Amino acid sequence: MTDETLPLPLYQHIATHTIQQLEPAWLQLEKGSERIIQTGGAWQHYCQKVPPTGQQATGLFDILFGMLPMSESFELPQVQLQDGKYTDILALCDINDDWLLFCDVTQNTLQLQQYQQISNDFILLKAQMQQTLHRYVGHEVSERIAQGEMQLDAAGERKTIATLFVDIRSFTPFNERHDAQMVMQTLNDYMNAMLPPILQHHGMVDKIMGDGVMAVFGVLPSENHCCLDALHAAKQIIQAIYTLNQHRLSSGLEQLGIGVGIASGEAVLGILGSHERRTFTAVGRHVNLAARLESNARVGEILIDEAMHQALAQPDAFTPVTLTLKGIGQTNIFSQTQPCIHGI
Amino acid sequence: MIQKKICILGAAGVGKTSLTAQFVYSKFSEKYLSTMGVKIDKKVVKIDNTSVNLMIWDIHGEEKYKKITSSYVRGSAGIFTVIDGTRSETIQTAHGILERVHSDIGKIPNIFLLNKSDLSDAWDINEQALAALKKYGDPMYTTSAKTGEHVDLSFQQLTKMLINP
Repeated sequence: MTDETLPLPLYQHIATHTIQQLEPAWLQLEKGSERIIQTGGAWQHYCQKVPPTGQQATGLFDILFGMLPMSESFELPQVQLQDGKYTDILALCDINDDWLLFCDVTQNTLQLQQYQQISNDFILLKAQMQQTLHRYVGHEVSERIAQGEMQLDAAGERKTIATLFVDIRSFTPFNERHDAQMVMQTLNDYMNAMLPPILQHHGMVDKIMGDGVMAVFGVLPSENHCCLDALHAAKQIIQAIYTLNQHRLSSGLEQLGIGVGIASGEAVLGILGSHERRTFTAVGRHVNLAARLESNARVGEILIDEAMHQALAQPDAFTPVTLTLKGIGQTNIFSQTQPCIHGI
Repeated sequence: MIQKKICILGAAGVGKTSLTAQFVYSKFSEKYLSTMGVKIDKKVVKIDNTSVNLMIWDIHGEEKYKKITSSYVRGSAGIFTVIDGTRSETIQTAHGILERVHSDIGKIPNIFLLNKSDLSDAWDINEQALAALKKYGDPMYTTSAKTGEHVDLSFQQLTKMLINP
């Protein structure tokens, strides 16, 4: 906008007001050099004394190091000065002279910083939330949820799922024999070995109860049948614990034996809890059965129910067994044992 | 004394200002304050018998809608490209920044810093992502602005690369 399109008094008012706000200070430099040939403006706003003519500009302002002599015009926005003020530096490459213009932008920058802070805090918080979600449902699913492609809602959907329970055999006496910090470290090592197979096979960690974990398969999308995913995860967990035990053995630590129970059936999926605290869970008859199977499983043993056995394409590796389960009674189930302790 | 300008680049919140504060003032603050524009610090680094005055440009974080102004990097002898080790998405930002620096001022010495190594439990960098960074052939360090791990070492290493190209 120029005085040709705006009445002169108005143009002058805006120009004066803007210039007052920006507190401009300028240097005229010898063309193609760093030597100051003239100065002007509100230098007291930017430094203690007016830059002397005849001096090299880079010797006076660190910010200009590497920038001069100018080969083209450029702008350095929001340069923070020692006293916390901010200045825009405009370098103008004219035909006969080079110019440096300092304009105070402190007020505007501090306002923008408040917005920037909120935005950046939000980005970091979102990343934290996503990482928490990622630990429960795996990277792929958490990404899809973050992008709004998928939802975990409280609709109470009915679905056929496979529920897997796993825990460490004889963990209570282990807990009593050792220092709490050592128990915590052991549990962390155990979880680090055990949770990745669940996530890798599209399982969702429903609960972690001390040394026990409940995971559900069939809630998150997968190309495989939920029973097959659950069985693959169980085998991989046992293999991971076997590897962990080899490390523990070489460090002179006790080995960990685990048992697994898996059952399949229809369950209602949903969010359970009060307005203040909610948790995703699966509710169904087979869930209780899976828990009972796990508590009966011996070290390295995977126990599955009939529904699981029928759903598996190649169930031959399982041996039929009849067990009397607490609260359920005599039940036909299937067993498979894998080495999870060194030497078995 | 030799003077060199270096820039610290990366996505918002990766720890650029904290790394600079740890190196220059041996200080760390848990409080996060967004950097606006650019702040310049100086520190003399001694390599063998050579003293180098490093002008450290701590530049605001790159975001989707707020790219780093290319004039900030003008005249730089080297750069640090900082990645938040707990946020793998900051690697993508690092790739974008480095490609732009290469196109604006050419290939200059660079070191990748995988920062926040003290948060090992939240570490989120996989082998595939590391392999993509290694393709640039630039050195890489895991750092912690909090504990100071590899911070001095990284600045020493970049300074060596500047004076012995």
